[in-house]
Amino acid sequence: MIKIENLTKKYSKQTVLEINSLEIPSGQTFGLIGNNGAGKTTLFSCLLDLIKPTKGKVINNDVEVSASESWKSFTTAFLDETFLIGYLMPEEYFYFIGELRGLSKIQVDNFILKFEDFFHGEILGGKKYLRDLSKGNQKKVGVIAALIGEPKVIILDEPFANLDPSTQIRLKGIIKDLSKYKDTTILVSSHDIQDVTEVCDRIALLEKGKLIKDIKTNKETLKELETYFKG
Amino acid sequence: MLLNVYISHMFKMMFSLQWKEFNRGKAVGGKLVAKILKWFGIIYFAFIAFGMGIIASFPIEEDVIAPFLYVNKQLIYVFAYLIVMRYFIQSLPILNIKALLLTPLLKTKIVRFSLLKTVLTYFNILPLFFLIPFSVLLAQTGKFDIIGLIFWNINIIGLIYVTNFFNFLLNNKDKLLYGIGGILALIKALEYYSIVDLTEHSEQFFYLFYSQPYAVSFTWLLVFWLYNYVHKYLIQGLYIDTGLQAKIKEAKMEDFSFLDRFGKTATFIKNDLRLLKRAKRARMAVYMGIGAIFYGMIFLPSEEILGSGFLFFGYLFSTGGFLFMFGSFVPSWDSQYYPLMMTQNIEYKEYLNSKWTLMIIGTVISTFLASFIYSFFGTNAVYAVLAGAFYNIGVNGYLTLWAGAYTKSPIDLNSSANAFGDKKAFNAKTVLVGIPQMLLPVLVYFFTSQYYDHFTGCLAVAILGTVGLLLKPIAFNLILKAYKTEKYSTLEAYKTN
Repeated sequence: MIKIENLTKKYSKQTVLEINSLEIPSGQTFGLIGNNGAGKTTLFSCLLDLIKPTKGKVINNDVEVSASESWKSFTTAFLDETFLIGYLMPEEYFYFIGELRGLSKIQVDNFILKFEDFFHGEILGGKKYLRDLSKGNQKKVGVIAALIGEPKVIILDEPFANLDPSTQIRLKGIIKDLSKYKDTTILVSSHDIQDVTEVCDRIALLEKGKLIKDIKTNKETLKELETYFKG
Repeated sequence: MLLNVYISHMFKMMFSLQWKEFNRGKAVGGKLVAKILKWFGIIYFAFIAFGMGIIASFPIEEDVIAPFLYVNKQLIYVFAYLIVMRYFIQSLPILNIKALLLTPLLKTKIVRFSLLKTVLTYFNILPLFFLIPFSVLLAQTGKFDIIGLIFWNINIIGLIYVTNFFNFLLNNKDKLLYGIGGILALIKALEYYSIVDLTEHSEQFFYLFYSQPYAVSFTWLLVFWLYNYVHKYLIQGLYIDTGLQAKIKEAKMEDFSFLDRFGKTATFIKNDLRLLKRAKRARMAVYMGIGAIFYGMIFLPSEEILGSGFLFFGYLFSTGGFLFMFGSFVPSWDSQYYPLMMTQNIEYKEYLNSKWTLMIIGTVISTFLASFIYSFFGTNAVYAVLAGAFYNIGVNGYLTLWAGAYTKSPIDLNSSANAFGDKKAFNAKTVLVGIPQMLLPVLVYFFTSQYYDHFTGCLAVAILGTVGLLLKPIAFNLILKAYKTEKYSTLEAYKTN
């Protein structure tokens, strides 16, 4: 599980993130929603030790992320295209990630095969490097690569943005399937309240770096969020 | 009249756009430093050209005509060199055009602006620093026809502009360039074995413009024709699916599984090999590494003037070329996906070790080639090459990696335009590290060889390298520490890509 304690990030005098306490039990599918500049990506970057918080700490399955690197063996993420290696072909990229997670080529092949539908014939066996794929297809590759190697914690930043409708629906299916596993914690952020309410057990609403709402998803959630954002 | 006002207004707007691009671009500080350094370099070369212009005019054995003939002889190589240098260094101003396409600016004007902007680049101005003193001093001897000299100059300036516009056509056509390079090598070889001496023809050709001034009109007709041709060529390319579209090469899977026996290190080396093959900017590092192998040649003929220390420096660089060209940009090579690297299940140590291993492999290959090439110059040369290689492997590998921790300039892998103008974050550390990298071994060699002999000098440097190799665990721990403390600011710097 993930524990956040007194996490603050300040740039000069501006506070972009301020979360006193947040606990995400393992197995939960956690959604993060908020407008631009709410601090979603900053929070994820802190979770992944890509940004050093001004104050406070993040603990991922008993590992303090800025103190040890051992959280990397069970955590994966896809935040943006900086998680892709442009000069590799999709297959090569999957193999690379697989190798780092201790999987053989055949194991990776078998794993990827499950997502043929999702790829819609546009990723595998093509003759393109990642840098030449469209944004949507790049995202497909990045998201699936984040699932390789049975990670315990998966962090996806706006996975639904830029995807075509069919792919969005399929991706929701994939995330729902994953959330059935008791020990896979999934963190998803989105701009779309419908998307998060559909896939997440719990939704946190960020506004200007602060946690405004923390809701267990139920029938009223969509309406509650809608009213808030209409505000 | 009105049209003129309109045109000048448009040009002003485009200039201001260009200025903003420079001024407001990301990483302004680094860019500014790079710009200043670039201008220092240009002024330096201007001085050199000026000096050469004066020296070249000195009569050879009282024969005042001889220097002029000699320069004409060499001009063919000067122009060939100019074409190649332009191809690699001169970036073409075809930026930001997409946004202009939908503005009321006429396409011809956009293209004309792009073309005319190149007229005043330093490539076209620098040669004047040679031509003017050279011609003035020749004219002073009174043995030359002044009109002829003036037209000779006008012709050369014309030919400089021919290469200027020719460069537009060459852009992105690697194969054509290799063709030219191959032909040049052949010509040089033919000349060396005195089968055909092209410089004789070069002399006759360029002399013609002195003896028959009207011939210059052909050159300038060619300039204007080429300008028009390039103009048309560029206008045709002003569609987002033709000239403005980045060329997509068909991808091919590459299997380097034979490297798998090296474990996790291999995972990264495989990637870096793909990087070197597929990313333009990285390929440049390989080419420059290969070019560096011949670096010692520059100092060979002038050993008596410059001293053996300089020659040793040349040898040191010839085996270390790839190491410096590739190593100085670790981890910048991975700047575009550094967040990925930092979140994967890998240890910094493995990552750095793979980079180091690749640098060493490159050095070993360079050493093989260099020792073969320099074996033609005697065993002493080979000793020096090997000593340099030991030092590069045992010491410079670590130093380059260590300095890399502080080099925080992102690299755009897909452009080769900036290979030299890289805002390589010239911080104090990267400059200072040059002292132990270059100066120390040269000094050690120099003083030991002065007291004893050449061989002992080489041995001393090689021993330093061997000691360095034995200290790898300690060196790596220090490097690791530097990388870890710099991690966040490096990530931040790469983000502003």
